[in-house]
Amino acid sequence: MNTSEYASPPSVEHLYLDHHGWLQGWLRRRLGNASDAADLAHDVFLRLLAAPKRFDSPPEARGYLRTMANGLCIDLWRRREVEQAWLDALASRPEALEPSPEHRSIIVETLLEIGDMLGRLPQKAASAFVMAQLDGMPYREIAARLGVSDRMVKKYIAQAMLQCALIEAGLEA
Amino acid sequence: MAATDGAMPPAGGTGDEAVKPGRRSLEEAASWYAALCSEDVTGAERQAWRDWLARSPEHASAWEHVEAVSRRFAPLHGTDPDAAVAGVAAARRGPVSRRRMLSGMAGLFGLGLAGWLGWRHTALPEVLMAWSADYRTGIGEQREITLADGTQVWLNTDSALSVEYRAGVRLLRLAAGEILVHTASDPGGRPFYVATRYGRMQALGTRFAVNHDQHRTRLDVFESAVEIRNAAGALQRVEAGQRADFTADGVSPLQAAERAREAWHRGVVVADDIPLQQLIEELARYQPGHIGVAPEVAELSVMGVYPAGDIDHALAMLENTLPIRIERPLPWWISIEAK
Repeated sequence: MNTSEYASPPSVEHLYLDHHGWLQGWLRRRLGNASDAADLAHDVFLRLLAAPKRFDSPPEARGYLRTMANGLCIDLWRRREVEQAWLDALASRPEALEPSPEHRSIIVETLLEIGDMLGRLPQKAASAFVMAQLDGMPYREIAARLGVSDRMVKKYIAQAMLQCALIEAGLEA
Repeated sequence: MAATDGAMPPAGGTGDEAVKPGRRSLEEAASWYAALCSEDVTGAERQAWRDWLARSPEHASAWEHVEAVSRRFAPLHGTDPDAAVAGVAAARRGPVSRRRMLSGMAGLFGLGLAGWLGWRHTALPEVLMAWSADYRTGIGEQREITLADGTQVWLNTDSALSVEYRAGVRLLRLAAGEILVHTASDPGGRPFYVATRYGRMQALGTRFAVNHDQHRTRLDVFESAVEIRNAAGALQRVEAGQRADFTADGVSPLQAAERAREAWHRGVVVADDIPLQQLIEELARYQPGHIGVAPEVAELSVMGVYPAGDIDHALAMLENTLPIRIERPLPWWISIEAK
């Protein structure tokens, strides 16, 4: 396995056998946690299955796997941060229910996705849009919470929707 | 992107090929959306919006994008708005490079997010095997295959099967899920096997069902007989009307075969005096998302024939006969409570 070139491009199964143990160790050192490391190593190979890559040598494969794993670590930290922010806000609500792990992970994914779409907007426009989308909160109430006029809320909603629709239509990344 | 201001020729296709909206139409759609969401919206405004929508296919397409954006919020419906605002605020701070997100990945796999989460909790070697399988079905999908020798195989929901017909042997490998097999006799007299990671079963000219998950393989025989040899080499012959479960370590004592294991290929789930919890687990296999059963009603006994692919219908039938009520806090979240 330590030859400098692959005789023929390896399958994902082959890559898994060669590199999974090493990758998991690398992730464990980076994350300081064996169970997160196992999850992310799993994800790296799932992604490779979904979008196979051709490698000519083991060092090339390792470099690629490490880059991918590093990206996933950053995602994981960001996901944890978002989850914590959401849970903290939820904890301050008296009637809040503790969501199940499955429910929670889908909610956090949705928050991340929406956060990306709204990334370039002013904070108040993003908040107004989320409130309007979630419960159809009246503009007057959104305006009071944000300390702006009703007309401003309507402008925020149009601005936020346009930003998201442009992304949805592939006209903006 | 072509400029699409002014008059646009009608769409060429017959609805299949959607018109790509330009920036201008999206701006209009977004501002209509903002007007319609307001509590002060008037009837005249609604009518003006309808006129705008009908004016060109590009407007209709722009509006579809607005609706698609709203659908992205669906998992948050019914959750706390202040928490969602805080979560989105935290998400906005991060790097804007999440095109390789989970849900995007789920799209790549052609699965819903729930399906993706399912794979995430499956051992990787099994995922690899399932992924390279010859035949696969998604959640809620069933498929009938006729093999080269005339053998018929029905693949149930969320299953993966590979077929290896070689000179001396006919071999099916079930990586995940469930199959029902009706073997044909082979002119060459080749033996017929179904293999899972826990062992292999030799069919002795017959009709039988195999269900495999991470914990065990289950065999129900409806005609003739099947012989199990598990990974450790233990042998067990299972006759028509019998059932056995096995793992790499052992084979269970024989029990009665269940009709339900043959009924699914007709699109139904049969409950023959089983606990509600068990029926729901069976129905949930055909349905992405989450279905929970409250402990107070989980043990209620049920009997009947339920449609496999139509969870709403099945739940309505149950709601009519049992002291339960169905809650749907989210579109993909069903919970069954005591009435």
